[in-house]
Amino acid sequence: MAIAPTSSRGGYIERPRPSGLADVIDVILDKGLVIDAFVRVSLIGIEILTIDARIVIASVDTYLRFAAAANRLDIGSSEGAEGLPDLMESVTSGGAASKTKGVLEGVKEKITGGDEDSGDKDSGDTEKEPARRSSRSSSRSSGSGSRSSGGSRSSGGNRSSKS
Amino acid sequence: MAEGAVYVYGIIPAAEQGTLSVTGVADRDVRLIPHGPVAALVSDFDDDALAAAREVRRHWRVLEQASKAATVLPVRFGTVMESDDVVREEMLVPHAERLEALLRELEGRVQLSLKGGYDEEQLLREVIAGSPAISKLRERVRMLPEAAGYYERIRLGELIASEVGRRREQDTGVALTMLEPLAVAARAEEPRRPDAAFDLSFLVERDGIDSFSQAVGALDEKVGARIQLRYVGPLPPYSFAQDELTAGADPWA
Repeated sequence: MAIAPTSSRGGYIERPRPSGLADVIDVILDKGLVIDAFVRVSLIGIEILTIDARIVIASVDTYLRFAAAANRLDIGSSEGAEGLPDLMESVTSGGAASKTKGVLEGVKEKITGGDEDSGDKDSGDTEKEPARRSSRSSSRSSGSGSRSSGGSRSSGGNRSSKS
Repeated sequence: MAEGAVYVYGIIPAAEQGTLSVTGVADRDVRLIPHGPVAALVSDFDDDALAAAREVRRHWRVLEQASKAATVLPVRFGTVMESDDVVREEMLVPHAERLEALLRELEGRVQLSLKGGYDEEQLLREVIAGSPAISKLRERVRMLPEAAGYYERIRLGELIASEVGRRREQDTGVALTMLEPLAVAARAEEPRRPDAAFDLSFLVERDGIDSFSQAVGALDEKVGARIQLRYVGPLPPYSFAQDELTAGADPWA
């Protein structure tokens, strides 16, 4: 999007980055005033959202995952003794880390995918934009600001293109 | 219109009556139900069900938008009441004083969220290097065929998980020590992902965002090599509006 992610790791953090839905999905589902006894609407798909927001940490699955990840690590002293080829080691351990991430993020994408641009549409779910990013500046700029999506807009740049 | 059910987003001070340019859930316009000093932010809702994946986005946008102009007490996603009258009589009238106090408490303050994540591989290396027991067990498990080592692997994972938990606690402590003094309030959530270091929410004065951000920068310098920070905000104070509105509930503390 128009906003460069706040890079950690070496970069200096100057200000909070504007939130995306993925950043706040768990607080939206979990926090806020609860008005007792008046929630009567059924929530379709809430289970998926909730599961995503609460990936359980203390479970056998997690233990096995930690163990598998630890076993794949290529640790100096044991490397030769184990006799596993270096190449295979690095491929599998790298693959494992990113695969896990991929699964977690994949779920999140289902929920938040493309929200930055399609949120104000009437039916974001039925109407697919094949190339959201590039179509944004041209096709959706009915107003005057068609050149404003360049990449230097600060807060609000990821909201609707009207505003 | 006042006949039907309404979806409730949040509570704002009645004085702050800006217009919202976002569409609410189920494509309805967002409007206010005022009562005295407070007003409920609602939209009409006549379905029986809410497609959560789509509407959670609307909910979020309405609150984001509203919080630009006013102090907002977010209401939990998925709250629907039977009618305008019910909103007024069951929520606003009996709780007006309390809602007003909450709004006053939160006035001029925003939520900033800071999540820390480990690089899993790096974390595991440190954990293994730091614990002879884990290191030894790992060596043994690696020698065993997949099927034979099931319980050893669980044991290994459990030891690692507990060591990771200890590190989490430590790192959460470091972050809170550096940041809490600059915030009005802080909340630490249970990390939800195996590679999470911490999940913190801070209530910060709007005027204090810059100095808070500086402290986050300092934290980043300190732990950035191990922990990737994700610093987001300002948000409506979701994590600091956790009351349950029922008769006789505890006052805000």
